[in-house]
Amino acid sequence: MSSLLVVGISDVKMTKAPGVLITYALGSCIGVCFYDSAIRLGALLHIMLPDAPSKIDNVFKYADTGIAETLRKMESMGGSRSRITAKIAGGAQMFHVPGDNHLGNIGKRNSDSVRMTLLKQRVRMLGADVGGTFARTVEFDTATGVAKVRTYGHPDKDL
Amino acid sequence: MVASYEDLNELQLDAIREVASIGAGNAATALSSLLSQQVKIDVPNVSLMEYSSAIEILGGPETIACGIMVRLSGDMNGVILYLQELDFINVVLKSVFGKTASGYEELGEMETSALIEIGNIGISSYINSLAAFARMDVQLSVPAFCINMAGAMITVPMTEIGYESNKIMLLDGNFKCGGQKVSSKLLLVPDVKSLSELLGRLGVNK
Repeated sequence: MSSLLVVGISDVKMTKAPGVLITYALGSCIGVCFYDSAIRLGALLHIMLPDAPSKIDNVFKYADTGIAETLRKMESMGGSRSRITAKIAGGAQMFHVPGDNHLGNIGKRNSDSVRMTLLKQRVRMLGADVGGTFARTVEFDTATGVAKVRTYGHPDKDL
Repeated sequence: MVASYEDLNELQLDAIREVASIGAGNAATALSSLLSQQVKIDVPNVSLMEYSSAIEILGGPETIACGIMVRLSGDMNGVILYLQELDFINVVLKSVFGKTASGYEELGEMETSALIEIGNIGISSYINSLAAFARMDVQLSVPAFCINMAGAMITVPMTEIGYESNKIMLLDGNFKCGGQKVSSKLLLVPDVKSLSELLGRLGVNK
């Protein structure tokens, strides 16, 4: 049995095969699985908000700074920017308050920011399971690069 | 002025606990008469927690629960989230329909309407009494409802205050129905500005 590394909210963890990374109950948050298949190095980032403010408390809380910092960490472990790919899950809207878009669009804003940042950083996105109104748990296996998405009330999905 | 949750002192936390107790007491009274049995809500815990530990304390990220969320506006901005697990849901179903459910998938439209209604009454009694005590004018949105992983629902109020804080202030009270502890929680998460306002009204915002 390989080790299971738990990634919290506004957090990132990185490991090489055969390590398995997991993050639980993504609602509007997004889990980004980064993978360099040549050296089987994987990282799982759990962001909460789309764009970092000018004064940053925790880079991993935000999509833009979190992705940039994770890529830097992977490169320092021998990862190559040209090989690193990404898979994303989350960005749901858990509650819909009629006539209120303040709360509702944060999941969408998160997934837009994640996609945009990956594009800017020239990271290819190989799969996405975002949106909807349900939570997702993501288990990312660095031996295979497969991200398993588990939900309540929907079938499991492999990305 | 309180600039962040981390700035709160003991006196202020006590004052918050006091008003939360008034809210919880009123919510319990309203629920008792609706469900025709004694509902008690413990003196609320006021705690400041990192996001991940808050989720653990509330029962773990993947626990399935039914959540009713109401957004607050006016003198207090923020969110109130009422989490109900199956044991509490069954107290409601038994009292309203005379039957129980063995799983969340058995909850149909009738059952969820009853849960939303009960949740909304609990939430409004809580907020209205708290607002009256602090002489604040607080408006409530219509309730939003969801059955899913509790961990993901709890991140909704966290996301709200995410740009202001790395910690969340939880005012939670545990429920007892007819003397038995049930898994149900009311979480009030005001934003930092409203919290400061509330403390001012209570005379402890130094």
